[in-house]
Amino acid sequence: MKILSFKYFSIALASVWLIIFTLFPNFFILIVSFLERDEINFIKPVATLDNFKTLADPIFLSIFIKSLYLSSVTTLLCLILSYPFVLITSKFTENMKKILLLLVIIPFWTSSLIRTYALITILKANGVINSLLISLHIIDAPMNILYTDVAVFIGLTYTLLPFMIIPLFVSVDNIDYQLIEAAYDLGAGKIRTLYSIIIPLTLPGIIAGCVLVFLPSLGLFYIPDILGGSKSMLIGNLIKNQFLITMNWPLGSSISILLNLVLGILLFIYYKSLRRLNKIVTD
Amino acid sequence: MRYILILFLLFLPLVSSANKNRLYLFNWTEYMPDKIISAFEKETGIDVIYSTYDSNEVMYSKIKILGGKGYDIVFPSTYYISKMRKQNLLHKIDLSKISNFKYLNKDLLYKSFDPENRYSIPYLWGTTGIGCNSKYVNTDEIKSWNDLWKKKYKGKVLLTDDLREVFTVGLRVLGYSGNDQNRDHINEAYEQLKRLLPNVKLFASDSPKQPFLNNEVYLGMLWNGEAYMASRENPYIKYIYPEEGAIIWVDSMAIPSKAKNIENAYRFIDFVLRPEISKAISEELGYATANTESLKIMNDTIRNNKIIYPDNETIKNGEFQADVGDSILFYENLWERLKIE
Amino acid sequence: MKTTSLKIFYIFFILLFLYIPIITLIIYSFNDATYSTVWSGFTLKWYRHLAENDQLINAALNSLIVAILSSTIAVFLGTITSVALYRYSFYWKKFLYYLIFIVLMSPDIVMGISWLMLFSFFNLDLGFLTLLLSHIAFSFPFVAIVIYSRLRGLDKYIVEAAYDLGAGDFIIFRYIIFPSILPAVITSWLLSFTLSMDDVLVSFFVAGPTFDILPLRIYSMVKLGVKPDINALSAIIFLFTIIIVVITQLISWDKKRG
Repeated sequence: MKILSFKYFSIALASVWLIIFTLFPNFFILIVSFLERDEINFIKPVATLDNFKTLADPIFLSIFIKSLYLSSVTTLLCLILSYPFVLITSKFTENMKKILLLLVIIPFWTSSLIRTYALITILKANGVINSLLISLHIIDAPMNILYTDVAVFIGLTYTLLPFMIIPLFVSVDNIDYQLIEAAYDLGAGKIRTLYSIIIPLTLPGIIAGCVLVFLPSLGLFYIPDILGGSKSMLIGNLIKNQFLITMNWPLGSSISILLNLVLGILLFIYYKSLRRLNKIVTD
Repeated sequence: MRYILILFLLFLPLVSSANKNRLYLFNWTEYMPDKIISAFEKETGIDVIYSTYDSNEVMYSKIKILGGKGYDIVFPSTYYISKMRKQNLLHKIDLSKISNFKYLNKDLLYKSFDPENRYSIPYLWGTTGIGCNSKYVNTDEIKSWNDLWKKKYKGKVLLTDDLREVFTVGLRVLGYSGNDQNRDHINEAYEQLKRLLPNVKLFASDSPKQPFLNNEVYLGMLWNGEAYMASRENPYIKYIYPEEGAIIWVDSMAIPSKAKNIENAYRFIDFVLRPEISKAISEELGYATANTESLKIMNDTIRNNKIIYPDNETIKNGEFQADVGDSILFYENLWERLKIE
Repeated sequence: MKTTSLKIFYIFFILLFLYIPIITLIIYSFNDATYSTVWSGFTLKWYRHLAENDQLINAALNSLIVAILSSTIAVFLGTITSVALYRYSFYWKKFLYYLIFIVLMSPDIVMGISWLMLFSFFNLDLGFLTLLLSHIAFSFPFVAIVIYSRLRGLDKYIVEAAYDLGAGDFIIFRYIIFPSILPAVITSWLLSFTLSMDDVLVSFFVAGPTFDILPLRIYSMVKLGVKPDINALSAIIFLFTIIIVVITQLISWDKKRG
């Protein structure tokens, strides 16, 4: 009955599950990306490098660049908006902090789709913002927000903001206030303290937040879809199209592999920088 | 251990409901009035499960991936009927089981995409023309697809998110057929469409009337039914048949080859073909019915509404969408490039 | 004085940014107009409409079932996995770490597509089972991580003491490890539940016609940009969320006192 022991059972369960649901699927994608497309059966067992060659086409490059650009700006926006928020709340009482954190999380629990849809009501030409601004005579004609890149930025930032706030919050919470007080005592002004002490100490949180916002933003195709009017083609939409519309599974797979590679590299950099940071802090 | 019990209890209802009498419908969004479905359910006791798609491409891929299983009725457009028929994705219909087949408009039957008419039953037909908001656009000035290209409409144009339809517009303004398979012509259309892009605010096939109602766009491609529904909400929205000819399409009901509830599917199709039912559908959605009996009992205002029922001349001037065979891949490539520009 | 009010204003601004869309939705769910944004009078008809919308209710129930089942199973799997990784050494351990990492890192679409391929390869019909399996598969790494980090903070000596006293692995797990990681288990269950209820990206690819779930139904409704049914639905979901959050808060406050 040694086979049924907890130890063997747990290891076996974990391994079997991971192999079937992680190794195999990714393996399939890898293999399919090297196969040829077939009109009828999706893929032909014919090896080819065409799918990757297609990716070298400037058009695909521009989609990649645009997606990376979109995600980077979103991450930056989230950072800029969240950091002051977290710094300010760090001075509040424990109870207040808890309540504020909850308030930040609650919208996250309601469907992100519905919230994106809500943004349409607000951003459209005869929507809340425009109607308000026009009735206040601040502008004469409705602003063109919906179905532009701006709308997509707003949508992505709005959806991913909590993912930046929470790691930042945890990180700022852990700052030893004595360090800050020491800085003041030594005559440092507020701004100097900020960038010499607070920011470096919260760097892990900043980086974690950036990762948590950047990664999902690359794959969230439905937000550019709904708010961008299907006019902006990003990596997410591109992959989805290959699989569900043009039925080019090999090409879709190759794009997925590339995306995974890019993300893997970014995460690797993140991991390395964390270790460097830890070294600097502990030295 | 309590967990296991709870899991079991949760599984039970799923198992028991698996044997209910069902019908899985896969249709375009807003293309079947709720009350028709309820009426069918009440009469037959069959549970109708309704899913939607916004393009033929999505419908086709889903059916392919599922191998013709899963859905009992789908609503492909003309050229997809031939495509799916050739790939054995459609069930050969036993016409004897559809008693109301006789009511169908003969002009819409036995067409090239389904010569024996054994794979599709016409449902609704319609046109894609120019929709415009007369509050912002002088409707007298709008006569042809070419007008969409006018510089003053920068950022105010809507195109449907349908590759064939958009390319048809590009081809028609150059004098070519929307079903052209000549690569040079298609390329020219692509270049022509590229020039239109600065005017295009967005591509939309899920409720394309919305951006019109939101005042996001002033004119663009629009399906007649959508235009009709929009005009009911906002009388400024008008529908114009372009002089090059509108795009005419027919959507039919078809049964995927490996559908499970075929008997229920037949009952549904027959139900829809009842004159009073087809009439109700056409009146609510604003698309033309393929059912001649329905036309006879149709409400006059609807029957004479040129948006829903264009006159014969308009129909002759228009062009039906047909299959373009292998060149679809070429179209798709250019379509992707267009979206990226 | 000025700086303090500026700070408070900023907090409000951010909270406003987060809540205005939701509040707008709720307000408009009572608006007596189908498409426009102009206030045309108070009405409850959208809620009535919603109650009659069998499809939507069915989809919501289905989502609930999948979320509950997948979270429970994911928690079960994840707990066992992280305990195994924490306690035992075996030569392919690092490999498992990498696999978990891959799921966490891959964008949802890529995961969704890879599972679609997996299911196609094995000729599995897309439906409830494929959906359930995929949901478990993407929740499971999150559970594993949350529980693993909690395990790291565990007192190793208690476990060793129990071991010395002759307790078998399972007993140690059941009576020592599990109770102390219970908060993490509950948190990760809630996390999985949320991920499952809200998932669009993966479900988009692996859901079949026979099993309709809420996010996909909302996705098609939302693209229509339309009827305030959705507003009513969102208002209800929001209310539901608040109730759950308040309840969990009350429970944790209660625990602290007790």
